[in-house]
Amino acid sequence: MPAVRERPAPRVHRPPKAPPGRRAGRPPRDLWPYALIAPAIGGMLYLLVYPLVRAVVISLQDFRLRQLISGDAEFVGLRNYRTLLSDPRFWEVTGRTFVFMAVDVVLIMVISTLVALMTERLHRVGRTVVLCSLVLAWAMPVVAATTVFQWLFHSEFGIVNQTLTGLGFGSFDRYPWFANGTASFTILVLLIVWQSVPFAAVTLYSALTTVPAELYESARLDGASASRVFRSVTFPMLRPIFMLVLSLEVIWTFKAFVQIWVMTRGGPGDATTILPVYAVQTALSSQRYDLGSAASMITVVLMSGVLVLHFRQMFRQEDDPR
Amino acid sequence: MKYRLLAGVSALVTAAALSACSSGGDGAGEAGGATTVDVWLMRDSVSAAFQKEFTEGFEAAHPDIDVKIQIQEWDGIGQKITAALAGNDAPDVIEAGNTQVAQFAESGGLLDLSDRKDELDGGDWLKGLAEPGAYDGKQYGIPYYAANRVVVYRKDLFEEAGVDPAELTTREEWIAATTKLNRGGTQGIYLPGQLWYALAGFVWDEGGDLATESGGRWKGALDTPEALRGMAFYARLQALGKGPRDSDEDDPPQAEVMAQGQVAQVISTPGGANVVVENNPELKGKLGFFPIPGKTAGTPGAVFTGGSDLVVPAAAGHPDAALTFIEELTGDAWQKKLAVAMSYVPNRTSLAPAVADDPGASAMAVGAAHGHATPNTPGWAAVEAENPVKDYMTAVLTGGDAKQEAAKASADITRAMNAGS
Amino acid sequence: MTSPRFRIRRIPLNAAAVVTVVVCLFPVYWMISTAFKPSRDIQSAEPRLVPRSWTLDHFRRAVQADGFELFWRNSVLVTLGAVLLSLLVALGASFAVARLRWKGRRQFMLLVFVAQMAPWESLIIPIYIISRDTDMLDRLPTLTLVYFMITLPFTIVVLRGFLATIPPELEEAAQVDGCTRTGAFVRVALPLLAPGLMATSLFGFITAWNEFAYANFLIIKQQDNRTLPVWLSSFQNTFGTDWGATMAASTLFALPALVIFLLLQRHVTSGFAAGAVKG
Repeated sequence: MPAVRERPAPRVHRPPKAPPGRRAGRPPRDLWPYALIAPAIGGMLYLLVYPLVRAVVISLQDFRLRQLISGDAEFVGLRNYRTLLSDPRFWEVTGRTFVFMAVDVVLIMVISTLVALMTERLHRVGRTVVLCSLVLAWAMPVVAATTVFQWLFHSEFGIVNQTLTGLGFGSFDRYPWFANGTASFTILVLLIVWQSVPFAAVTLYSALTTVPAELYESARLDGASASRVFRSVTFPMLRPIFMLVLSLEVIWTFKAFVQIWVMTRGGPGDATTILPVYAVQTALSSQRYDLGSAASMITVVLMSGVLVLHFRQMFRQEDDPR
Repeated sequence: MKYRLLAGVSALVTAAALSACSSGGDGAGEAGGATTVDVWLMRDSVSAAFQKEFTEGFEAAHPDIDVKIQIQEWDGIGQKITAALAGNDAPDVIEAGNTQVAQFAESGGLLDLSDRKDELDGGDWLKGLAEPGAYDGKQYGIPYYAANRVVVYRKDLFEEAGVDPAELTTREEWIAATTKLNRGGTQGIYLPGQLWYALAGFVWDEGGDLATESGGRWKGALDTPEALRGMAFYARLQALGKGPRDSDEDDPPQAEVMAQGQVAQVISTPGGANVVVENNPELKGKLGFFPIPGKTAGTPGAVFTGGSDLVVPAAAGHPDAALTFIEELTGDAWQKKLAVAMSYVPNRTSLAPAVADDPGASAMAVGAAHGHATPNTPGWAAVEAENPVKDYMTAVLTGGDAKQEAAKASADITRAMNAGS
Repeated sequence: MTSPRFRIRRIPLNAAAVVTVVVCLFPVYWMISTAFKPSRDIQSAEPRLVPRSWTLDHFRRAVQADGFELFWRNSVLVTLGAVLLSLLVALGASFAVARLRWKGRRQFMLLVFVAQMAPWESLIIPIYIISRDTDMLDRLPTLTLVYFMITLPFTIVVLRGFLATIPPELEEAAQVDGCTRTGAFVRVALPLLAPGLMATSLFGFITAWNEFAYANFLIIKQQDNRTLPVWLSSFQNTFGTDWGATMAASTLFALPALVIFLLLQRHVTSGFAAGAVKG
């Protein structure tokens, strides 16, 4: 039984090698890494860390349109956070956001993994067709996709109602999908999953292409079933990219906004109001940039709570000399 | 081969980048001492023909001012205006919808135009336009044009059913006529379930309102008996057709449904009729207008006043030229031309006769005299962002208990309006 | 290869492929068919899979919009610039992380991971303020830099992940054969990175291509610097939205991503051919 978790070639700790020849005028070898990451660090500092710090400052101020125009704003400490966290609706919305995220992420990861596995096994023509349709679904503008879904489920003119009635489900004649909270929630989940699977599937598929064929063959020669092969060979190699895609989908579904805004505005009632929709309703519609900023910070904290395990694993993996 | 692709793309990007850099700055483009006034108008607020006519006429009358009009899109316009007001280089005149202008008036980013009110002939401005443009006693927005809804109807279907629109002066007569029209394959009226502007009109007719203020605090008022009666009327009307109960007038666009041919009436601005004819040229000449009927024979129905104001940013480069522009565009001569060209209601009640020859606009003007706006407070923007009124309407139309749903919706309105304070 | 048993086994696989394609393409098909339907048929009482009549009016209106060529030029510039910049910087950074050993490597990767959680919807205001104070408003390079930053963390993580699966021995072998370190990297590792490059380029392209909020907020008076998403939303007016034109515009809008994918996909498969390297 081969030690299936082994990587394709034995890893050997090699001491840093001397380069073929030191050229005069080049930075010493030890500084190369820092030179290579300098643009990334520079970019992140100026375009991410600095704006982020200012966003945090805004969340601690009384900052509305007036302050944006005039330039001076008063510090109010944690008042904005208190306003948000003491709103009972906030906690209800947060709970709903977690449910929404969990349902979406599970569906997206399962479906995209299956699609990626399937795509890898197809012949070249089939593979290209599937990949092209995934890319088209991914590239379809969000508003167009949301509107099409709205049309499909329209109570009077939608093809879904027409088909269901035609198949004999008379109760769906003129059924108002968007009047029912659970129905609207489900339609949104379908939309988000439909839009998110292509990215995940394409990325997972490209990761799958790096798994060497010999590993599969040797596992199969040893009589492993398809699911065993997946569990012991494919998934361990896939895991870093899988976890990356998973954490990205967690982040993105947590922050899904445009689709919900266009389709239901968070309605009916609060049935589809998740955190980003809530933030825009309470903050940005009245140009309360301070509340909006505070809501974003809280969202980041909540998301990192979910992803902390992933982070710890990544951090530990960095000790791995790869 | 890969490198050639990469090199080709890089060359393309660089070349285009260089050309973009050179066009990045605003070339001063001022010919011999003339000032250029930068104006932002919304998409379709003026036709291309009117824009040309006005620009040429204005520049002829004011040779030292060049007019540069930029058309802005509706999507994201709130953020766009915010970015302009807070920036260093703002346009000189901005058209702001009357539902949005209040929050900008409050922000300190606009010029106070109160002392020009007399020059601009502000005595009989339409309330629905002037009020949102004012804040704390000062006038920031100058009324530009208004539009409201009327009933657009099919003359031929009315004739067939033996209905004379001139006789529909009360709501009950209207319901009776619509019931007569609602048979066979024809819909008496296509009224979507979430046209809350129409509901607002019916509520105002009953003497109620969407929200009321007392002691500085706003409260949702959908659960008052008056508002409930308004909703009851809406429900009766809505049932006389196949309007979708869970969507609004844009999904699908009402005019396109009417264009399909089996709809006798819709509640829409008169401009909607042009869209109907565009989609179905056979209906040309078959569409008529009448004002929304009120409760009694002498009073037309209350309507929601839509429209725009013109504002001048505090950071504008040429405020004097801006004011000259506004004076012209909101002055008698051009207002009359604008109203006729675009089928609008002019910004002053005294100018209403100018559109007497346009059946759509004159029907509109009748209703405009009884026009209301939404509560004049920035907190209303938060309500529209959630729109509990729409949810309320759908809930009632799909069988919910009106009183309960109204109480819920009013609570939501109260919460949303007071959240930002 | 074509024995009956083999073919039968492939039926569920091919069936799954067909289902996937249909599910993915159905809304896309609806968008495209709407673009060809006359307006009155777009949402009609009898929804039909195949339009009853066809019209090119919507496409005509879409391409006759004001500034149409400018929108395309700007979007191409900004998007390609952001993607290329992001790939370049990420390649350098991921090479450093995957191939070199240095202090602070862990912290750098953690920073990159955390950067993916950046609340871009709230960073608009600070970035606007910074741009205003440095006179970078109304300029396309500002947008390019923002999009570059949005796609950078993902690109670094993916490229590093792919690099990690490529054994360094391959590059070392090439160096023994006389390549410089960079030469070995470019000749040996880069082709094997092709799938990762494809995934990250597509992601960067689609993200930047579709971005509206920043483009709307940072490009104010210079209307010549507006990008395509503004064009997409320009078919709304006071009477509602011109859905025919919007769908026609959306169809045209989605095509470049497909083109980019097809261009890259060819290189991905040739990356395999070079995979005699594997094992």
